[in-house]
Amino acid sequence: MRKRRESGGLESEVLATLWASQDPLTAAQVADGLGTDLAYTTVQTILTRLHHKGAVRRELAGRAHAYTPVLDESGLAAGRMRAILDRENDSGAVLSRFIETLTPAEETTLAQLLGLGRPEGPAPSLEEPAS
Amino acid sequence: MRFSVYLPLLLSAAFAVLARPVTRQTPPATAAWLLSAGGVISAAASYVSLTILSITLVARVPVLALADHWSRAVLGRADPVAWPVALWALAALVATAAAVATTARRRLHELREAHGLARALAGRGTELTVLDSPLAEAYAVPGRPGRIVVSTALLQRLDGAQRRALLEHERSHLRHRHHLHHSAAAVCAAANPALRRLPQAVAEACERWADEDAAAACRRGTVAEALTRAATGPRASSPMLPSTVLPGVAEVASRVRALQRPAPPRRAWPVLVVLGLLLAMTLSVVEATADAHGMFEGAEAHRVVAAATSSAASGGVVPVDHTRATP
Repeated sequence: MRKRRESGGLESEVLATLWASQDPLTAAQVADGLGTDLAYTTVQTILTRLHHKGAVRRELAGRAHAYTPVLDESGLAAGRMRAILDRENDSGAVLSRFIETLTPAEETTLAQLLGLGRPEGPAPSLEEPAS
Repeated sequence: MRFSVYLPLLLSAAFAVLARPVTRQTPPATAAWLLSAGGVISAAASYVSLTILSITLVARVPVLALADHWSRAVLGRADPVAWPVALWALAALVATAAAVATTARRRLHELREAHGLARALAGRGTELTVLDSPLAEAYAVPGRPGRIVVSTALLQRLDGAQRRALLEHERSHLRHRHHLHHSAAAVCAAANPALRRLPQAVAEACERWADEDAAAACRRGTVAEALTRAATGPRASSPMLPSTVLPGVAEVASRVRALQRPAPPRRAWPVLVVLGLLLAMTLSVVEATADAHGMFEGAEAHRVVAAATSSAASGGVVPVDHTRATP
């Protein structure tokens, strides 16, 4: 087990270290906080990847970047919405009532999101029961 | 018939009593498998008993017996199952079947819910999602791929090595699909009330399993420290996954004690005891089924003979096998 430490696992540990700290951390500080003898360059690579994923924010502190974790607000909100839908017996009714509360701008966004991959196609009818 | 039909019930009760203390002597991964697979076999075995007992009741109903050419007289003689026992078996069969259906549906729903949550958290492409919460909580969300959710409060309470222990623990839950063991145990408990403590035993074994996996990746002491720190201070009951069970103080204490000892050795005898019990259970099912089958065959043969005799007596044509008539 010890040998098979995937990079995805290290990514979680780096992220967890950033979250455990009250202040932004540089790559060197993260490598310290991990509690393992992990190469600085490896930590730097993981931090860059996390930055690309939008999981961390970075700003220059002196000559190095300092990293702050970013809450996955939209993922967590989507998770809560998903849970509400799952708890209802008639998720179609909930969705259709929810659609009625959307502003025109939100409706456009939703139509665009659902229309992804089929340009010019009509917006999917939400009246139809999801099968 | 008299005894063999009750044997699967007796042996599944014996499994319910013996399984936990015996499997405690094995590494937790072995224990979890013996408990959940043994639970499924026990539940199935007890169902066979109840079904055979119920059929003896159904066979007493005159219309059914006639339709299936069973001789009620022979059934009555061959089958010593008193009708109150058979009635009780039928009631138990119906009630537990309903409980199994309800439990299975609920577990499926929870599993779908977890997969939905895992998909919602997948957008960013990180294994770990952090909840900004003053309460300590951590759980694994099964899905494809599964996700790990941990609160800021818990991460801040642990040091680097302990955080890794925590993540390894949750990863073990995902990697070995512990939620399926939990579901199997829940369905078994619904099928056979004697197995009602099985879900708790399986949950304990899975937590210990994840602890041992974490200990293999880190240090035993580190896992114990992480567990102790996680358990001290305010803890949340998970708002996102209702099925998440947070360990009680007593359970944490026993897991910490287990981590303070060396990794549990592989022993043959507890495995052999459980497997022997399960083998006996399987044989008893075969025996009970064969007995029941023999009883109904006997009843059917008797009725055919009786019918032939009565038609011969009344001057009817007795069926003769002409192909074997001598020239």
